[in-house]
Amino acid sequence: MRNAFSDALVEAAKADPKVVLLTGDHGYALFDAFRKACPAQYINCGVAEQNMVGVAAGLAKAGFRPVVYGLAAFVPIRVLEQIKIDVCYENLPVVLIGDGAGLVYSHLGTSHQTTEDIACTRVIPELTVLSPADRFEMTACMELAFASTSPVYLRMGKSDRGDVHASALDVAPAELRIGALLKVRAGAGRVAMLATGSMVRTALQLCEAGMDAEVWSVPSIKPLSQTQLRAIAARADRLITLEEHSIMGGMGSAVLEALADQAPVRIQRIGSADRFSSSCGTWDYLLQEHQIDLAAVLQKVQAFCQE
Amino acid sequence: MESLCDDPMTRFNSQNIRAAVLNMAYHGATVHVGCAFSIVELLAVLYRSHLRVDPANPKAPERDYLVLSKGHGVMAQYACLHELGWLSKDDLARYFQNGTRLKGLADAHVPGIEASTGSLGHGMSVAAGLALAAQLNKTDQKVYVIVGDGELNEGPIWEAALFASHFKLDNLVVIVDKNGFQAMGSTDEVMALGNIEEKFRAFGFDAVTIDGHDEAAIDGAYGQAKANCNCKPKAIVAITRKGKGVSFMEGDNIWHYTRLNPDTHAAALAEVALTKQGAV
Repeated sequence: MRNAFSDALVEAAKADPKVVLLTGDHGYALFDAFRKACPAQYINCGVAEQNMVGVAAGLAKAGFRPVVYGLAAFVPIRVLEQIKIDVCYENLPVVLIGDGAGLVYSHLGTSHQTTEDIACTRVIPELTVLSPADRFEMTACMELAFASTSPVYLRMGKSDRGDVHASALDVAPAELRIGALLKVRAGAGRVAMLATGSMVRTALQLCEAGMDAEVWSVPSIKPLSQTQLRAIAARADRLITLEEHSIMGGMGSAVLEALADQAPVRIQRIGSADRFSSSCGTWDYLLQEHQIDLAAVLQKVQAFCQE
Repeated sequence: MESLCDDPMTRFNSQNIRAAVLNMAYHGATVHVGCAFSIVELLAVLYRSHLRVDPANPKAPERDYLVLSKGHGVMAQYACLHELGWLSKDDLARYFQNGTRLKGLADAHVPGIEASTGSLGHGMSVAAGLALAAQLNKTDQKVYVIVGDGELNEGPIWEAALFASHFKLDNLVVIVDKNGFQAMGSTDEVMALGNIEEKFRAFGFDAVTIDGHDEAAIDGAYGQAKANCNCKPKAIVAITRKGKGVSFMEGDNIWHYTRLNPDTHAAALAEVALTKQGAV
Protein backbone atom coordinates (compact mmCIF):
# COMPACT_ATOMS: atom_id res chain seq x y z
CA MET A 1 0.00 0.00 0.00
CA ARG A 2 2.83 2.38 0.80
CA ASN A 3 4.53 1.37 -2.42
CA ALA A 4 1.32 2.13 -4.29
CA PHE A 5 1.33 5.55 -2.63
CA SER A 6 4.94 6.20 -3.57
CA ASP A 7 4.42 4.94 -7.14
CA ALA A 8 1.37 7.17 -7.64
CA LEU A 9 3.23 10.16 -6.27
CA VAL A 10 6.28 9.63 -8.47
CA GLU A 11 4.13 9.05 -11.52
CA ALA A 12 2.12 12.23 -10.92
CA ALA A 13 5.24 14.32 -10.32
CA LYS A 14 6.94 12.99 -13.44
CA ALA A 15 3.86 13.76 -15.51
CA ASP A 16 3.34 17.24 -14.09
CA PRO A 17 6.25 19.47 -12.99
CA LYS A 18 3.76 21.51 -10.97
CA VAL A 19 3.33 18.62 -8.54
CA VAL A 20 5.51 19.35 -5.52
CA LEU A 21 5.88 17.26 -2.39
CA LEU A 22 6.10 19.08 0.93
CA THR A 23 7.07 17.13 4.00
CA GLY A 24 7.48 18.15 7.60
CA ASP A 25 10.77 16.25 7.83
CA HIS A 26 9.01 12.89 7.73
CA GLY A 27 8.93 10.01 5.27
CA TYR A 28 12.55 8.91 5.51
CA ALA A 29 12.43 5.77 3.34
CA LEU A 30 9.03 6.43 1.84
CA PHE A 31 10.28 9.21 -0.41
CA ASP A 32 13.50 7.64 -1.65
CA ALA A 33 12.03 6.96 -5.08
CA PHE A 34 10.49 10.42 -5.28
CA ARG A 35 13.68 12.18 -4.28
CA LYS A 36 15.60 10.20 -6.85
CA ALA A 37 13.09 10.75 -9.66
CA CYS A 38 12.04 14.35 -8.97
CA PRO A 39 14.54 16.01 -6.61
CA ALA A 40 13.56 19.54 -7.63
CA GLN A 41 9.96 18.85 -6.67
CA TYR A 42 10.82 17.69 -3.15
CA ILE A 43 10.57 20.37 -0.46
CA ASN A 44 11.44 19.47 3.11
CA CYS A 45 9.77 22.21 5.15
CA GLY A 46 11.38 21.15 8.38
CA VAL A 47 9.54 20.37 11.58
CA ALA A 48 7.12 23.26 11.08
CA GLU A 49 3.79 21.91 9.90
CA GLN A 50 1.70 25.07 10.26
CA ASN A 51 4.04 26.98 7.97
CA MET A 52 4.14 24.02 5.59
CA VAL A 53 0.38 24.13 5.00
CA GLY A 54 0.43 27.91 4.51
CA VAL A 55 3.28 27.53 2.03
CA ALA A 56 1.29 24.84 0.21
CA ALA A 57 -1.65 27.24 -0.05
CA GLY A 58 0.62 29.91 -1.53
CA LEU A 59 2.08 27.44 -4.02
CA ALA A 60 -1.39 26.24 -5.01
CA LYS A 61 -2.60 29.81 -5.54
CA ALA A 62 0.27 30.29 -7.95
CA GLY A 63 -0.61 27.18 -9.95
CA PHE A 64 1.33 24.39 -8.26
CA ARG A 65 -0.16 21.07 -7.12
CA PRO A 66 1.24 20.59 -3.63
CA VAL A 67 1.11 17.28 -1.80
CA VAL A 68 1.55 17.87 1.91
CA TYR A 69 2.79 14.88 3.86
CA GLY A 70 2.85 14.42 7.60
CA LEU A 71 1.89 12.00 10.29
CA ALA A 72 -1.87 12.23 10.80
CA ALA A 73 -1.24 13.56 14.29
CA PHE A 74 0.20 16.68 12.63
CA VAL A 75 -1.47 16.74 9.20
CA PRO A 76 -4.41 17.29 9.63
CA ILE A 77 -4.70 17.57 13.40
CA ARG A 78 -2.02 20.08 14.32
CA VAL A 79 -2.68 22.20 11.23
CA LEU A 80 -6.44 22.06 11.12
CA GLU A 81 -6.84 25.84 11.09
CA GLN A 82 -4.42 26.28 8.21
CA ILE A 83 -6.31 23.58 6.29
CA LYS A 84 -9.60 25.31 6.97
CA ILE A 85 -8.61 28.91 6.22
CA ASP A 86 -5.57 28.85 3.95
CA VAL A 87 -6.51 25.83 1.82
CA CYS A 88 -10.20 24.96 1.96
CA TYR A 89 -11.77 28.42 2.14
CA GLU A 90 -10.20 29.14 -1.23
CA ASN A 91 -10.88 25.62 -2.46
CA LEU A 92 -7.24 25.13 -3.44
CA PRO A 93 -6.11 21.82 -4.96
CA VAL A 94 -3.84 20.69 -2.15
CA VAL A 95 -3.51 16.99 -1.36
CA LEU A 96 -2.99 16.37 2.34
CA ILE A 97 -1.58 13.00 3.39
CA GLY A 98 -1.98 11.91 7.00
CA ASP A 99 0.21 8.87 7.58
CA GLY A 100 0.00 6.45 10.48
CA ALA A 101 -3.61 7.34 11.24
CA GLY A 102 -5.44 5.39 13.91
CA LEU A 103 -3.39 3.42 16.43
CA VAL A 104 -0.42 2.72 14.12
CA TYR A 105 2.05 4.46 16.43
CA SER A 106 0.92 2.23 19.27
CA HIS A 107 4.22 2.27 21.13
CA LEU A 108 4.67 6.04 20.95
CA GLY A 109 1.57 7.07 22.81
CA THR A 110 -1.13 9.68 22.58
CA SER A 111 0.88 12.36 20.72
CA HIS A 112 1.20 10.17 17.63
CA GLN A 113 -2.06 8.22 17.74
CA THR A 114 -4.88 9.73 15.71
CA THR A 115 -8.45 8.64 16.21
CA GLU A 116 -10.04 12.03 15.62
CA ASP A 117 -8.88 13.02 12.13
CA ILE A 118 -11.95 11.89 10.18
CA ALA A 119 -14.22 13.74 12.58
CA CYS A 120 -12.14 16.91 12.29
CA THR A 121 -11.75 16.93 8.52
CA ARG A 122 -15.14 15.84 7.25
CA VAL A 123 -16.83 18.93 8.68
CA ILE A 124 -14.63 21.30 6.64
CA PRO A 125 -16.40 22.49 3.48
CA GLU A 126 -14.73 21.71 0.12
CA LEU A 127 -12.53 19.00 1.64
CA THR A 128 -12.77 15.44 0.32
CA VAL A 129 -11.83 12.74 2.85
CA LEU A 130 -10.39 9.48 1.53
CA SER A 131 -9.42 6.37 3.48
CA PRO A 132 -8.06 3.57 1.28
CA ALA A 133 -7.98 -0.01 2.53
CA ASP A 134 -5.39 -1.59 0.27
CA ARG A 135 -2.97 -0.87 -2.56
CA PHE A 136 -5.68 -0.93 -5.20
CA GLU A 137 -7.79 1.60 -3.35
CA MET A 138 -4.67 3.66 -2.69
CA THR A 139 -3.91 3.86 -6.42
CA ALA A 140 -7.49 4.84 -7.21
CA CYS A 141 -7.59 7.40 -4.37
CA MET A 142 -4.34 9.00 -5.50
CA GLU A 143 -5.65 9.25 -9.06
CA LEU A 144 -8.80 10.82 -7.70
CA ALA A 145 -6.81 13.26 -5.56
CA PHE A 146 -4.64 14.43 -8.45
CA ALA A 147 -7.64 14.75 -10.77
CA SER A 148 -9.48 16.88 -8.24
CA THR A 149 -9.50 20.67 -8.42
CA SER A 150 -10.39 20.82 -4.73
CA PRO A 151 -8.52 19.92 -1.55
CA VAL A 152 -8.28 16.28 -0.51
CA TYR A 153 -7.32 14.66 2.78
CA LEU A 154 -6.04 11.13 2.30
CA ARG A 155 -5.90 9.08 5.48
CA MET A 156 -3.16 6.48 5.43
CA GLY A 157 -3.59 4.03 8.30
CA LYS A 158 -2.26 0.58 9.07
CA SER A 159 -0.87 -0.38 5.69
CA ASP A 160 0.22 -4.01 5.97
CA ARG A 161 -3.11 -5.80 6.26
CA GLY A 162 -3.02 -7.13 2.73
CA ASP A 163 -5.38 -6.70 -0.20
CA VAL A 164 -9.11 -6.63 0.21
CA HIS A 165 -9.71 -6.50 -3.52
CA ALA A 166 -8.58 -9.24 -5.89
CA SER A 167 -7.32 -6.80 -8.49
CA ALA A 168 -7.29 -3.17 -9.54
CA LEU A 169 -10.65 -1.50 -8.98
CA ASP A 170 -13.11 -1.51 -11.82
CA VAL A 171 -15.08 1.39 -10.41
CA ALA A 172 -15.34 4.40 -12.71
CA PRO A 173 -13.48 7.49 -11.44
CA ALA A 174 -16.74 9.40 -11.68
CA GLU A 175 -18.34 6.91 -9.28
CA LEU A 176 -15.50 7.14 -6.80
CA ARG A 177 -15.69 10.91 -7.02
CA ILE A 178 -19.22 10.86 -5.68
CA GLY A 179 -18.29 8.52 -2.86
CA ALA A 180 -18.88 5.02 -4.17
CA LEU A 181 -18.86 2.20 -1.65
CA LEU A 182 -17.07 -0.88 -2.95
CA LYS A 183 -18.44 -4.36 -2.34
CA VAL A 184 -15.71 -6.71 -1.18
CA ARG A 185 -17.91 -9.64 -0.14
CA ALA A 186 -21.43 -10.73 -0.98
CA GLY A 187 -23.71 -11.88 1.81
CA ALA A 188 -27.22 -13.15 2.40
CA GLY A 189 -28.38 -9.59 2.73
CA ARG A 190 -29.70 -9.34 6.29
CA VAL A 191 -26.45 -7.92 7.67
CA ALA A 192 -24.25 -5.38 5.94
CA MET A 193 -20.87 -4.22 7.15
CA LEU A 194 -19.39 -0.90 6.07
CA ALA A 195 -15.70 -0.66 6.88
CA THR A 196 -12.88 1.71 6.05
CA GLY A 197 -9.09 1.51 6.00
CA SER A 198 -7.55 -1.22 8.14
CA MET A 199 -10.93 -2.42 9.38
CA VAL A 200 -12.04 -3.74 6.00
CA ARG A 201 -9.70 -6.65 6.66
CA THR A 202 -11.32 -7.11 10.07
CA ALA A 203 -14.77 -7.18 8.48
CA LEU A 204 -13.66 -9.93 6.12
CA GLN A 205 -12.13 -11.85 9.04
CA LEU A 206 -15.47 -11.64 10.86
CA CYS A 207 -17.05 -13.37 7.90
CA GLU A 208 -14.31 -16.01 7.88
CA ALA A 209 -15.14 -16.53 11.55
CA GLY A 210 -18.74 -17.30 10.75
CA MET A 211 -20.60 -14.02 10.25
CA ASP A 212 -22.69 -13.96 7.12
CA ALA A 213 -22.61 -10.39 5.96
CA GLU A 214 -22.29 -8.25 2.90
CA VAL A 215 -19.04 -6.30 3.27
CA TRP A 216 -18.48 -2.89 1.75
CA SER A 217 -15.29 -0.88 1.77
CA VAL A 218 -15.69 2.86 2.20
CA PRO A 219 -12.67 4.51 0.55
CA SER A 220 -14.42 7.88 0.34
CA ILE A 221 -15.84 9.09 3.63
CA LYS A 222 -16.70 12.44 2.16
CA PRO A 223 -18.46 12.47 -0.15
CA LEU A 224 -20.28 9.26 0.64
CA SER A 225 -22.79 8.00 -1.88
CA GLN A 226 -26.18 8.59 -0.30
CA THR A 227 -27.93 6.60 -3.00
CA GLN A 228 -25.81 3.53 -2.38
CA LEU A 229 -26.11 3.87 1.37
CA ARG A 230 -29.88 4.01 1.17
CA ALA A 231 -29.95 0.98 -1.11
CA ILE A 232 -27.72 -1.02 1.23
CA ALA A 233 -29.75 0.03 4.25
CA ALA A 234 -33.00 -0.87 2.52
CA ARG A 235 -31.82 -4.47 2.02
CA ALA A 236 -30.37 -4.98 5.50
CA ASP A 237 -31.96 -5.07 8.90
CA ARG A 238 -28.63 -4.83 10.68
CA LEU A 239 -25.89 -2.47 9.57
CA ILE A 240 -22.43 -2.39 11.16
CA THR A 241 -19.75 0.25 10.61
CA LEU A 242 -16.10 -0.47 11.40
CA GLU A 243 -13.22 2.01 11.55
CA GLU A 244 -9.92 2.49 13.35
CA HIS A 245 -11.15 5.85 14.60
CA SER A 246 -13.25 7.15 17.43
CA ILE A 247 -16.86 6.01 17.27
CA MET A 248 -17.66 9.71 17.56
CA GLY A 249 -17.64 11.76 14.39
CA GLY A 250 -16.07 9.27 12.03
CA MET A 251 -17.34 7.19 9.13
CA GLY A 252 -19.94 5.56 11.36
CA SER A 253 -21.32 8.95 12.28
CA ALA A 254 -21.43 9.93 8.61
CA VAL A 255 -23.50 6.81 7.94
CA LEU A 256 -25.84 7.60 10.84
CA GLU A 257 -26.33 11.14 9.57
CA ALA A 258 -27.10 9.90 6.09
CA LEU A 259 -29.56 7.22 7.11
CA ALA A 260 -31.31 8.54 10.21
CA ASP A 261 -34.06 10.33 8.35
CA GLN A 262 -33.85 8.67 4.94
CA ALA A 263 -33.59 4.94 5.58
CA PRO A 264 -33.65 4.11 9.27
CA VAL A 265 -32.08 0.78 10.13
CA ARG A 266 -30.45 -0.67 13.26
CA ILE A 267 -26.80 0.46 13.14
CA GLN A 268 -23.90 -0.64 15.31
CA ARG A 269 -20.73 1.44 15.23
CA ILE A 270 -17.40 -0.26 15.88
CA GLY A 271 -14.50 2.06 16.63
CA SER A 272 -12.29 3.17 19.47
CA ALA A 273 -14.08 4.42 22.57
CA ASP A 274 -14.06 8.05 23.61
CA ARG A 275 -10.84 7.82 25.56
CA PHE A 276 -7.06 7.91 25.10
CA SER A 277 -4.97 4.75 25.01
CA SER A 278 -3.67 3.96 28.45
CA SER A 279 -0.89 1.50 27.69
CA CYS A 280 2.13 1.01 25.52
CA GLY A 281 2.11 -2.01 23.25
CA THR A 282 1.86 -3.40 19.77
CA TRP A 283 -0.87 -2.36 17.35
CA ASP A 284 -2.66 -5.65 18.05
CA TYR A 285 -2.39 -5.04 21.76
CA LEU A 286 -3.93 -1.57 21.48
CA LEU A 287 -6.78 -2.90 19.36
CA GLN A 288 -7.53 -5.20 22.27
CA GLU A 289 -7.31 -2.34 24.72
CA HIS A 290 -9.86 -0.43 22.67
CA GLN A 291 -11.96 -3.55 22.13
CA ILE A 292 -11.67 -3.40 18.37
CA ASP A 293 -9.57 -6.54 17.90
CA LEU A 294 -11.13 -9.41 15.99
CA ALA A 295 -12.31 -11.38 19.04
CA ALA A 296 -13.88 -8.37 20.74
CA VAL A 297 -15.56 -7.19 17.57
CA LEU A 298 -16.89 -10.67 16.80
CA GLN A 299 -18.53 -10.81 20.20
CA LYS A 300 -20.05 -7.36 19.75
CA VAL A 301 -21.44 -7.91 16.28
CA GLN A 302 -22.83 -11.35 17.11
CA ALA A 303 -24.64 -9.91 20.11
CA PHE A 304 -25.96 -7.06 17.97
CA CYS A 305 -27.22 -9.40 15.29
CA GLN A 306 -28.99 -11.59 17.82
CA GLU A 307 -30.82 -8.71 19.49
CA MET B 1 2.15 44.28 -16.28
CA GLU B 2 2.55 47.84 -15.12
CA SER B 3 3.25 49.21 -11.72
CA LEU B 4 1.31 52.31 -10.90
CA CYS B 5 4.58 54.25 -10.67
CA ASP B 6 3.62 56.80 -13.23
CA ASP B 7 0.44 57.82 -11.58
CA PRO B 8 0.44 61.25 -9.96
CA MET B 9 1.04 61.52 -6.24
CA THR B 10 -2.61 62.32 -5.78
CA ARG B 11 -3.35 58.64 -6.14
CA PHE B 12 -3.53 56.66 -2.93
CA ASN B 13 -3.50 59.81 -0.91
CA SER B 14 -3.20 58.91 2.75
CA GLN B 15 -5.78 61.41 3.90
CA ASN B 16 -8.31 60.14 1.39
CA ILE B 17 -7.68 56.63 2.62
CA ARG B 18 -8.16 57.69 6.25
CA ALA B 19 -11.38 59.51 5.38
CA ALA B 20 -12.66 56.42 3.61
CA VAL B 21 -11.79 54.30 6.66
CA LEU B 22 -13.58 56.71 8.98
CA ASN B 23 -16.70 56.60 6.83
CA MET B 24 -16.66 52.80 6.59
CA ALA B 25 -16.14 52.42 10.31
CA TYR B 26 -18.79 54.99 11.21
CA HIS B 27 -21.53 53.86 8.84
CA GLY B 28 -20.74 50.21 9.49
CA ALA B 29 -20.58 50.82 13.27
CA THR B 30 -17.43 48.80 13.45
CA VAL B 31 -14.02 48.75 15.13
CA HIS B 32 -10.30 48.45 14.25
CA VAL B 33 -9.93 52.08 13.13
CA GLY B 34 -6.59 52.47 14.91
CA CYS B 35 -5.30 49.24 13.37
CA ALA B 36 -6.16 50.46 9.86
CA PHE B 37 -4.67 53.91 10.40
CA SER B 38 -1.21 52.67 11.32
CA ILE B 39 -0.73 51.00 7.91
CA VAL B 40 -2.15 53.73 5.64
CA GLU B 41 1.16 55.07 4.35
CA LEU B 42 2.65 51.58 4.09
CA LEU B 43 -0.22 50.59 1.80
CA ALA B 44 -0.40 53.90 -0.06
CA VAL B 45 3.24 53.84 -1.16
CA LEU B 46 3.06 50.18 -2.07
CA TYR B 47 0.00 50.58 -4.28
CA ARG B 48 1.14 53.89 -5.73
CA SER B 49 4.73 53.08 -6.63
CA HIS B 50 5.75 49.46 -6.18
CA LEU B 51 3.10 46.77 -6.42
CA ARG B 52 2.80 45.61 -10.03
CA VAL B 53 -0.81 44.81 -10.76
CA ASP B 54 -3.05 44.73 -13.79
CA PRO B 55 -5.89 47.14 -13.07
CA ALA B 56 -8.03 45.14 -15.50
CA ASN B 57 -7.43 41.82 -13.76
CA PRO B 58 -6.84 41.38 -10.02
CA LYS B 59 -5.87 37.74 -10.67
CA ALA B 60 -3.30 38.41 -13.41
CA PRO B 61 -0.86 35.50 -13.03
CA GLU B 62 2.22 37.68 -13.31
CA ARG B 63 1.17 40.19 -10.62
CA ASP B 64 3.08 41.04 -7.49
CA TYR B 65 1.34 39.86 -4.34
CA LEU B 66 0.36 41.79 -1.26
CA VAL B 67 -0.77 39.70 1.69
CA LEU B 68 -2.30 41.64 4.56
CA SER B 69 -1.57 39.23 7.35
CA LYS B 70 -2.90 41.59 10.01
CA GLY B 71 -6.33 41.20 8.49
CA HIS B 72 -7.99 43.51 11.01
CA GLY B 73 -6.43 46.49 9.22
CA VAL B 74 -8.37 45.64 6.09
CA MET B 75 -10.46 48.82 5.90
CA ALA B 76 -7.35 50.71 4.75
CA GLN B 77 -6.83 48.12 2.03
CA TYR B 78 -10.47 48.32 0.95
CA ALA B 79 -9.95 52.06 0.38
CA CYS B 80 -6.96 51.28 -1.85
CA LEU B 81 -8.81 48.55 -3.74
CA HIS B 82 -11.62 51.02 -4.38
CA GLU B 83 -9.10 53.40 -5.85
CA LEU B 84 -7.81 50.60 -8.08
CA GLY B 85 -11.35 50.12 -9.30
CA TRP B 86 -11.71 46.63 -7.88
CA LEU B 87 -14.24 47.66 -5.25
CA SER B 88 -17.14 49.97 -5.96
CA LYS B 89 -18.21 53.04 -4.06
CA ASP B 90 -21.28 51.07 -3.09
CA ASP B 91 -19.10 48.27 -1.67
CA LEU B 92 -17.48 50.76 0.68
CA ALA B 93 -20.69 52.60 1.48
CA ARG B 94 -22.45 49.40 2.49
CA TYR B 95 -19.53 48.00 4.52
CA PHE B 96 -20.66 45.67 7.30
CA GLN B 97 -24.27 45.57 6.15
CA ASN B 98 -26.21 42.33 5.81
CA GLY B 99 -25.60 40.52 2.54
CA THR B 100 -22.53 42.52 1.51
CA ARG B 101 -19.15 41.05 0.61
CA LEU B 102 -16.68 43.14 2.59
CA LYS B 103 -16.11 41.57 5.97
CA GLY B 104 -14.35 42.91 9.02
CA LEU B 105 -11.23 40.86 8.31
CA ALA B 106 -9.30 40.28 5.08
CA ASP B 107 -11.05 37.69 2.93
CA ALA B 108 -9.52 36.17 -0.19
CA HIS B 109 -12.86 36.03 -1.99
CA VAL B 110 -12.58 39.82 -2.38
CA PRO B 111 -10.68 40.93 -5.51
CA GLY B 112 -7.22 42.12 -4.54
CA ILE B 113 -7.12 40.30 -1.22
CA GLU B 114 -4.62 37.47 -1.49
CA ALA B 115 -5.22 35.55 1.73
CA SER B 116 -7.93 35.19 4.32
CA THR B 117 -6.43 36.49 7.49
CA GLY B 118 -7.54 37.79 10.83
CA SER B 119 -6.62 34.58 12.49
CA LEU B 120 -3.09 35.85 13.02
CA GLY B 121 0.09 34.14 11.93
CA HIS B 122 -1.20 32.76 8.62
CA GLY B 123 -0.24 35.36 6.02
CA MET B 124 3.51 35.09 6.17
CA SER B 125 3.46 31.37 5.34
CA VAL B 126 1.09 31.89 2.42
CA ALA B 127 3.34 34.73 1.25
CA ALA B 128 6.39 32.46 1.53
CA GLY B 129 4.58 29.88 -0.64
CA LEU B 130 3.83 32.56 -3.24
CA ALA B 131 7.44 33.73 -3.15
CA LEU B 132 8.70 30.17 -3.56
CA ALA B 133 6.31 29.67 -6.49
CA ALA B 134 7.72 32.77 -8.19
CA GLN B 135 11.23 31.44 -7.73
CA LEU B 136 10.33 27.99 -9.03
CA ASN B 137 8.64 29.66 -12.00
CA LYS B 138 11.70 31.89 -12.46
CA THR B 139 9.65 35.09 -12.52
CA ASP B 140 10.63 38.41 -10.99
CA GLN B 141 7.42 38.69 -8.96
CA LYS B 142 7.70 40.24 -5.52
CA VAL B 143 5.63 39.26 -2.52
CA TYR B 144 4.87 41.78 0.20
CA VAL B 145 3.32 40.76 3.49
CA ILE B 146 2.22 43.14 6.22
CA VAL B 147 2.26 41.68 9.72
CA GLY B 148 1.36 43.37 12.96
CA ASP B 149 3.80 43.59 15.84
CA GLY B 150 1.27 41.88 18.11
CA GLU B 151 1.02 39.20 15.45
CA LEU B 152 4.68 38.41 16.01
CA ASN B 153 3.50 36.55 19.14
CA GLU B 154 2.32 33.79 16.79
CA GLY B 155 4.63 30.80 16.36
CA PRO B 156 4.06 30.25 12.62
CA ILE B 157 5.57 33.71 11.95
CA TRP B 158 8.90 32.37 13.07
CA GLU B 159 8.43 29.07 11.25
CA ALA B 160 7.88 31.13 8.11
CA ALA B 161 10.93 33.28 8.88
CA LEU B 162 13.14 30.19 9.10
CA PHE B 163 11.61 28.86 5.88
CA ALA B 164 12.03 32.12 3.94
CA SER B 165 15.65 32.35 4.93
CA HIS B 166 16.44 28.69 4.28
CA PHE B 167 14.87 28.79 0.82
CA LYS B 168 16.55 32.13 0.04
CA LEU B 169 13.30 33.93 -0.71
CA ASP B 170 14.82 37.29 -1.54
CA ASN B 171 11.62 38.24 -3.36
CA LEU B 172 9.73 38.23 -0.06
CA VAL B 173 9.34 41.54 1.77
CA VAL B 174 7.96 41.31 5.30
CA ILE B 175 6.64 44.64 6.56
CA VAL B 176 6.14 44.81 10.32
CA ASP B 177 3.58 47.41 11.41
CA LYS B 178 5.21 48.24 14.73
CA ASN B 179 2.49 50.38 16.27
CA GLY B 180 3.41 49.19 19.72
CA PHE B 181 0.00 47.90 20.68
CA GLN B 182 -2.03 44.76 20.52
CA ALA B 183 -5.60 44.09 21.53
CA MET B 184 -5.22 44.26 25.29
CA GLY B 185 -2.36 46.69 25.74
CA SER B 186 1.10 47.69 24.65
CA THR B 187 3.31 45.00 23.17
CA ASP B 188 5.75 45.61 26.00
CA GLU B 189 3.08 44.88 28.57
CA VAL B 190 1.53 41.89 26.83
CA MET B 191 4.47 40.05 25.25
CA ALA B 192 7.67 42.01 24.94
CA LEU B 193 9.20 41.68 21.48
CA GLY B 194 12.68 43.01 22.07
CA ASN B 195 14.51 44.28 19.02
CA ILE B 196 12.43 43.17 16.05
CA GLU B 197 14.96 44.24 13.44
CA GLU B 198 17.68 42.22 15.17
CA LYS B 199 15.40 39.23 15.49
CA PHE B 200 14.73 39.15 11.74
CA ARG B 201 18.41 39.69 11.03
CA ALA B 202 19.20 36.75 13.28
CA PHE B 203 16.84 34.66 11.17
CA GLY B 204 18.84 35.57 8.06
CA PHE B 205 16.87 38.55 6.75
CA ASP B 206 18.09 41.87 5.48
CA ALA B 207 16.36 44.07 8.03
CA VAL B 208 15.85 47.80 8.35
CA THR B 209 13.81 50.06 10.63
CA ILE B 210 12.00 53.10 9.23
CA ASP B 211 9.37 55.67 10.12
CA GLY B 212 6.21 53.94 8.87
CA HIS B 213 4.42 57.20 8.18
CA ASP B 214 7.23 58.87 6.22
CA GLU B 215 6.34 58.14 2.61
CA ALA B 216 9.80 58.98 1.29
CA ALA B 217 11.41 56.61 3.78
CA ILE B 218 8.89 53.89 2.94
CA ASP B 219 9.47 54.39 -0.76
CA GLY B 220 13.23 54.10 -0.25
CA ALA B 221 12.92 50.95 1.84
CA TYR B 222 10.63 49.23 -0.68
CA GLY B 223 12.93 50.22 -3.51
CA GLN B 224 15.95 48.82 -1.74
CA ALA B 225 14.17 45.62 -0.77
CA LYS B 226 13.11 45.03 -4.38
CA ALA B 227 16.50 45.79 -5.86
CA ASN B 228 18.61 43.62 -3.61
CA CYS B 229 18.54 40.10 -5.02
CA ASN B 230 21.01 38.74 -2.52
CA CYS B 231 19.33 35.48 -1.56
CA LYS B 232 18.02 37.02 1.66
CA PRO B 233 14.39 37.76 2.48
CA LYS B 234 13.70 41.33 3.50
CA ALA B 235 12.17 42.73 6.68
CA ILE B 236 11.09 46.33 7.03
CA VAL B 237 10.23 47.26 10.59
CA ALA B 238 7.95 50.26 10.26
CA ILE B 239 7.57 52.34 13.41
CA THR B 240 3.97 53.53 13.31
CA ARG B 241 1.34 55.12 15.53
CA LYS B 242 -1.86 53.26 16.14
CA GLY B 243 -4.63 55.66 15.14
CA LYS B 244 -2.21 57.83 13.18
CA GLY B 245 -3.78 60.92 11.62
CA VAL B 246 -6.37 61.76 14.26
CA SER B 247 -5.02 63.40 17.39
CA PHE B 248 -7.43 61.81 19.85
CA MET B 249 -6.82 58.34 18.41
CA GLU B 250 -3.05 58.40 18.10
CA GLY B 251 -1.38 56.10 20.57
CA ASP B 252 -4.66 55.42 22.38
CA ASN B 253 -5.39 51.72 22.23
CA ILE B 254 -9.10 52.13 22.90
CA TRP B 255 -9.39 52.72 19.14
CA HIS B 256 -8.68 49.05 18.59
CA TYR B 257 -12.22 48.33 19.77
CA THR B 258 -14.06 51.67 20.03
CA ARG B 259 -16.81 52.59 17.59
CA LEU B 260 -17.20 56.08 16.21
CA ASN B 261 -20.20 58.19 17.23
CA PRO B 262 -21.47 61.21 15.29
CA ASP B 263 -19.22 63.57 17.25
CA THR B 264 -16.00 61.56 17.03
CA HIS B 265 -16.69 60.76 13.39
CA ALA B 266 -17.12 64.45 12.53
CA ALA B 267 -14.12 65.52 14.59
CA ALA B 268 -11.90 62.85 13.06
CA LEU B 269 -12.98 63.68 9.53
CA ALA B 270 -12.30 67.35 10.19
CA GLU B 271 -8.77 66.56 11.37
CA VAL B 272 -8.10 64.39 8.34
CA ALA B 273 -9.40 67.14 6.05
CA LEU B 274 -7.21 69.73 7.75
CA THR B 275 -4.21 67.49 7.37
CA LYS B 276 -5.04 67.15 3.71
CA GLN B 277 -4.92 70.90 3.31
CA GLY B 278 -1.57 70.99 5.01
CA ALA B 279 -2.94 72.93 7.99
CA VAL B 280 -1.94 70.34 10.57
